[in-house]
Amino acid sequence: MNDPAHATPGSHTIAQPGKYLVVTLGSESYGIPVLKVREIIRLCPITPVATMPEHVRGVINLRGKIIPLVDLRTRFGLPVEVDHDRNCIVVAQLAGSAGASRLYGVIVDGVEEVASFIADDIEPTPDFGGAIDVRFITGMAKSDSLVTTLIDLDRIAAADMATAATETLASPPVVSTR
Amino acid sequence: MAEPPNSAPQQADALLQQFGLELAFVEPGRPTAGASLVAIVGKLQPLCGQAPAPIGVAIAACLRWLDGSARSAGVLTATDLENLGAWQPWMVTAVMAWDRGQAVPVPPEAWVAAAGATIPPPNRLATTSDADVLDQPVGVLPGDLDEELGQMFCAEAQDLLQDIEQGVLTLESNAQDQSTIDTVFRAFHTFKGNSSMLKLAVLQRLAHELESLLDQVRRGKMALTRDSIDLILKGSDVIRQYVDEMSRQLGGVDRGRTIRLPVQRIIADVHALLAGKPATPVMPATRATPATPAVAASTVVAPAVIAPEVAAPEVAKPAVAVAVELPTREPERTPPAMTAEMVSTEPAVAAPAGVVRVDTLKLDSLIDLVGELVVAQSQVVQSQELKGIANEHLARSLSQLRSITSDLQRTAMSLRMVPIRGTFRKMTRLVRDLAGDLGKEINLRLEGEETELDRTVVEELSDPLVHMIRNSADHGIELPGERAAAGKPAAGTITLKAFHQGGFIVVQIEDDGRGLNTGRILAKAVERGLVNPQESLEESQILDLIFMPGFSTAEQVTGLSGRGVGMDVVRRNIEKIRGKVEVESVPGKGTRFTTYVPLTLAIIEGLLVGVGDQRYIIPTLSVQESFRPLPGTVTTVQGRGELISVRGRLTPLLRLGRHLNTPTKADDPSRGIVVVVESGQDSRCLFVDELIGKQEVVIKSLGDVFRDQHAFAGAAILGDGRVGLILDVNALVKLKAPAGEAAA
Repeated sequence: MNDPAHATPGSHTIAQPGKYLVVTLGSESYGIPVLKVREIIRLCPITPVATMPEHVRGVINLRGKIIPLVDLRTRFGLPVEVDHDRNCIVVAQLAGSAGASRLYGVIVDGVEEVASFIADDIEPTPDFGGAIDVRFITGMAKSDSLVTTLIDLDRIAAADMATAATETLASPPVVSTR
Repeated sequence: MAEPPNSAPQQADALLQQFGLELAFVEPGRPTAGASLVAIVGKLQPLCGQAPAPIGVAIAACLRWLDGSARSAGVLTATDLENLGAWQPWMVTAVMAWDRGQAVPVPPEAWVAAAGATIPPPNRLATTSDADVLDQPVGVLPGDLDEELGQMFCAEAQDLLQDIEQGVLTLESNAQDQSTIDTVFRAFHTFKGNSSMLKLAVLQRLAHELESLLDQVRRGKMALTRDSIDLILKGSDVIRQYVDEMSRQLGGVDRGRTIRLPVQRIIADVHALLAGKPATPVMPATRATPATPAVAASTVVAPAVIAPEVAAPEVAKPAVAVAVELPTREPERTPPAMTAEMVSTEPAVAAPAGVVRVDTLKLDSLIDLVGELVVAQSQVVQSQELKGIANEHLARSLSQLRSITSDLQRTAMSLRMVPIRGTFRKMTRLVRDLAGDLGKEINLRLEGEETELDRTVVEELSDPLVHMIRNSADHGIELPGERAAAGKPAAGTITLKAFHQGGFIVVQIEDDGRGLNTGRILAKAVERGLVNPQESLEESQILDLIFMPGFSTAEQVTGLSGRGVGMDVVRRNIEKIRGKVEVESVPGKGTRFTTYVPLTLAIIEGLLVGVGDQRYIIPTLSVQESFRPLPGTVTTVQGRGELISVRGRLTPLLRLGRHLNTPTKADDPSRGIVVVVESGQDSRCLFVDELIGKQEVVIKSLGDVFRDQHAFAGAAILGDGRVGLILDVNALVKLKAPAGEAAA
């Protein structure tokens, strides 16, 4: 739970061995530390919030709590796709301000499995030659033929907060998809 | 209520009673036990400066024994104890004789013998005791205390003390934490205010000193050291001791009992710290500072309990002065055999029966869940499948379910509600003091004290109320002579009223004073450049000027109203809790302030509007009106700026859909609806597709991710379980106002 990674964006910690929820975005696999995951729900009605960067899809009602929803595809600059049946929302519980925890929802294309990665499986994030944004990647895990990119939701959320209104991050703001 | 004993012998006698009590708890060979005795004798010594010689000799002897013990870490030997055991009754007799002016008995040989040789240097103890001596035993309940206010004070004090302690503990690990320093500072500040409201001078003083200490820290003029942290904790312990005693007495236990607190000592230490010196490092007195409730209980002077045989009125004056005051108060209820420790187990009694303090987070999550239950319930009840079943039993069950859910919702909502009574009662006190200070006669009439509001609203309302009442008392009500000349009764009346109206709570402050002088207000406003002299204003608009920032009619700055905060602060504070305030006045007859505040901050009544597929909530309070504009009533300026004439006033039109990037159904204003919203003096027309209805919604925060956007003030969960966003009307109205939008 207490992943040191969330503390300071910029300092790069390597993913810890352990269990990861493997999700898909398009044809790529991403791993989220399973201890961060509170639940997985089906796509539900989303209320868009204007004036936000495009990857912030809006808010949803999770049993009386209002939680922000981020589209990971858009976040990582993957091509925008129409929501379909396999899409689901991973609700993560992140460290909030003042010791409280807060909920954060991410839309993914699909949920595959919970995989255990040992230390030997995990390799540090390679330098992509600046081609992609590696701020949120904590490592690469390989199992059989598949490579899973391990990501840190705390850092993604922290970046959202820091840049919410000003920066549009990876993708330019596109209004038409709303 | 008993006056604290004042003559030296009386104080000495009280100290001796305390000494006897302490002595009873001392066991030979136990360390530190001597410290509190040293402290008491330390206070006794300067008191007896004027006493007949034998008393001085006896005190010197006693100090010698205790001094020996102090050197061995406060351990008293059996011999010491025996000596002290004989000394105390002798002293009681001697002091009594001194008080009555009779001859003081001669002390035993053994005490005198060694006296000349080793009288301890008086300085040693005097340094500690100079301060301590000032710590008179105080009665904790002022004579004119409003019981209910006292109860509230105690409850709030407990919260504040908790804040303080928590804060200080945080500061121990991180002395730089500015927000914690602020929290602790504010807690002391609030405490000071509350104490002064109840005229609890001792607490007020103490809180003031600690507040100034923290203020220095807050401004970075002083580092927070271990010494200062200790001192703050010590201070809060003393406050707690006082408050505990107060709430016990309010609960009917040992009423009128006096209590002794090392207030002066702490104050002296604060001064020393502020002056850059370390706190007086005197061991015994420091230890004697009652730090725990257990010790606290034993230092309380409880005459009837401790020394029943001396409780005859003519014998032990200081302590019994108290007992004499309230002799009829079921003395048999306190068995004489009861020890101080037994008494100290009773504070629980003081808590009002049947009240549970609950974490507000739990409360909020309960309310969240109940809200969800209501949504789920309506989805079930309204489902087409169930409606297709014609079964009387099922229908009955469903209607039962519905009524239980709505009861549950109402109960959940009421959990946060408290009557406004407490705040109103505080005003009674305020008006009384104001009347005294101003030389006026003022009666305060309270109506609707039982009206319930959200606790947060009640708290937020308190300051504005104080302000408006001050205003009424200071500027409204005339001096008795002036009133008589105007044919009014000499005593002015301020009426404070609370009632429900149209989903809001209305709080009115009405006085029968001279009323507001519109001419003077206007002149002042022109002079301050707040209005254009050419402008012609209606009377209500002139009156409204008093809420403008920078306007204050106080011609002479009084201690009451001239604090640089005017009615604009009142309006701002009320608007902060989504309320509004209005003023009416009839010259010569009086002024009436009317504030409308929501019942609760957790719920707002909102107008649900549709824009495209989205629904937004506009807080009803800021909605002036809504209408469907006739074709051609929209004036376009430079092809973009749009204006609509609303009741003769040109108001800018904001297309909500365009502003929020939401596709709309209606593009022509005459096919949609225009909602006129206002914020302060400005208003704006919001163009939406449709009005869906009025609804009460529970406000929820959008969270950190959305904190930098300004279009929405929050969100709410609508009847169908979807999230609706609450528009931030203030931001929409203030949105880069086009030129020409004159503030009428």
